Amino acid sequence: MRNYSRFVVFPITFVMTFFITLMFATVVYAEKSQPLHPVTGTPMAPDFSLNDIDGKPHALQDYRGMVVIINFWATWCPPCRYELPSMERAYQRLKKQGIEMLAINVGEDADTIFTFTVDYPVTFPLLMDLDSKVIKDYPVVGLPTTYVVDSKGRLVYRAIGTREWDDAALMQKILDLKK
Amino acid sequence: MCFDYKAVTGLIFIGIGFLLPAYAPPAKGEVITGTDEEAQLPFWEWRNDVMSVRLVQRLPDQTRAFFTARGFTKSQAEVIAQGCIFQTVYKNIATPSKPGVIEYDLTQWKVLYQGDVRALKVKEAWQQEWEKAKVPQPAQIAFFWALIPTQQRFEPQDYNWGMTSYNLVPGEKFDLEMVWRQDGVKQSGAIRGIECAPDVELEPRNPFG
Repeated sequence: MRNYSRFVVFPITFVMTFFITLMFATVVYAEKSQPLHPVTGTPMAPDFSLNDIDGKPHALQDYRGMVVIINFWATWCPPCRYELPSMERAYQRLKKQGIEMLAINVGEDADTIFTFTVDYPVTFPLLMDLDSKVIKDYPVVGLPTTYVVDSKGRLVYRAIGTREWDDAALMQKILDLKK
Repeated sequence: MCFDYKAVTGLIFIGIGFLLPAYAPPAKGEVITGTDEEAQLPFWEWRNDVMSVRLVQRLPDQTRAFFTARGFTKSQAEVIAQGCIFQTVYKNIATPSKPGVIEYDLTQWKVLYQGDVRALKVKEAWQQEWEKAKVPQPAQIAFFWALIPTQQRFEPQDYNWGMTSYNLVPGEKFDLEMVWRQDGVKQSGAIRGIECAPDVELEPRNPFG
C-alpha cells in the first residue's frame, strides 16, 4: 500500500500554520495600532481665528466642509516634538485627499516657533494661540492633544499624547470621514 | 448595663458605609527603578498591564533654566526649582485586546515624608501664587501647560508628560501613594523611597572617555 499521508498532512499543516500566523499577525497589529477615540456627543468644534507664524489669519470656519486635524502643542513639550515628523508625513498624503491639518501652538511667539522649525520642518500651518484662549475653549487638559473635526464642523475623534499619524489604519479612519 | 445592639450594629454599618468609598485596594503592579535613557537621571516607575507612571528626576538647574527661559524671574524660578520637581510620564498602556480606562486626580495622592502625610503641589495652587505675584501671562501659560494635568481621563494608548511638584527640598526622600480608577473601580499603588534630585551641577562629560 502506498503512503499518501504526506499528501494530506503537509497541506493541512501548511494551511494551519498560515492561519495561525495570520491570527498572530492580526493580534500584534491590533496591539500596535494607533487609536483615535470617538468624542462623546460629537459637539461642534469651537470656532477660532488665529494667525500663523507668517501672519496669515486662519479661521476654522474657512475650512467648513473639510475634515480638519487640530493639534495643540508647544515647542518645549517632548511628546509634541516626537509626533511632528509623523504628522508631516501624514499631511503630505492626507492633503491630497482634501484633509487639512492645523497645529495650534500654545503661548509661544512667532520667533520661537520659527527657530524651532529649523529642526522640525513642517508644511502645515502653525497657528499661534498667544493668550491660550482657544485651547481653553476646547476640552484639552494636557499637551499634545489632537482633535479630528468632520466636514460638518463636529469634534469626532480625540487623541491625548503622541500618535504615529502616518499609521495606515489611523489615516484610513480619518479618510473614512470623507465618505 | 444595657446595649441597644440594633443601634450599635447600625452605627457600625454607617461607619463602614462612610469608610468604604475612601478605601482603594492596592492594584497588582511592580515598581522599577533605574536611569532614564533620555534624561540620564534616576527614575521610579509603577506599572502593570494597564497603566504606567514614571517619575524622572529633574535637576533644580534644569528647572531654573526652563522657567527663566519662559519669562519667570530668577527668584521665581528658584522657588520652583527648590520644590522637588519630577518629569512625570503617565500612560494608559492597555491594549485593544484588553482595554481599560484610567482616571486620576492628583489631589487624592499622598506624599509620605518623615512621618507626615502631605499633598502634591498641583498647578492650580502654583497658579494662585503666580497671579498674586503678577507673573507675565506667557510665563503663566507655559507653567500651566508644563505641569501634568491635575485630573485626567485616559483611553487606551493615551498619555501625558508633565512636571509634578512635591513641595520638598532637593535631596529629600519620600514615598508616594497613588490612587486612580480603572474602568470606574478605585485602585491604589505606592512607590517608596523616591529621591528629589540634589541641587548639583552635572559634571561635564569627557567626550573622549
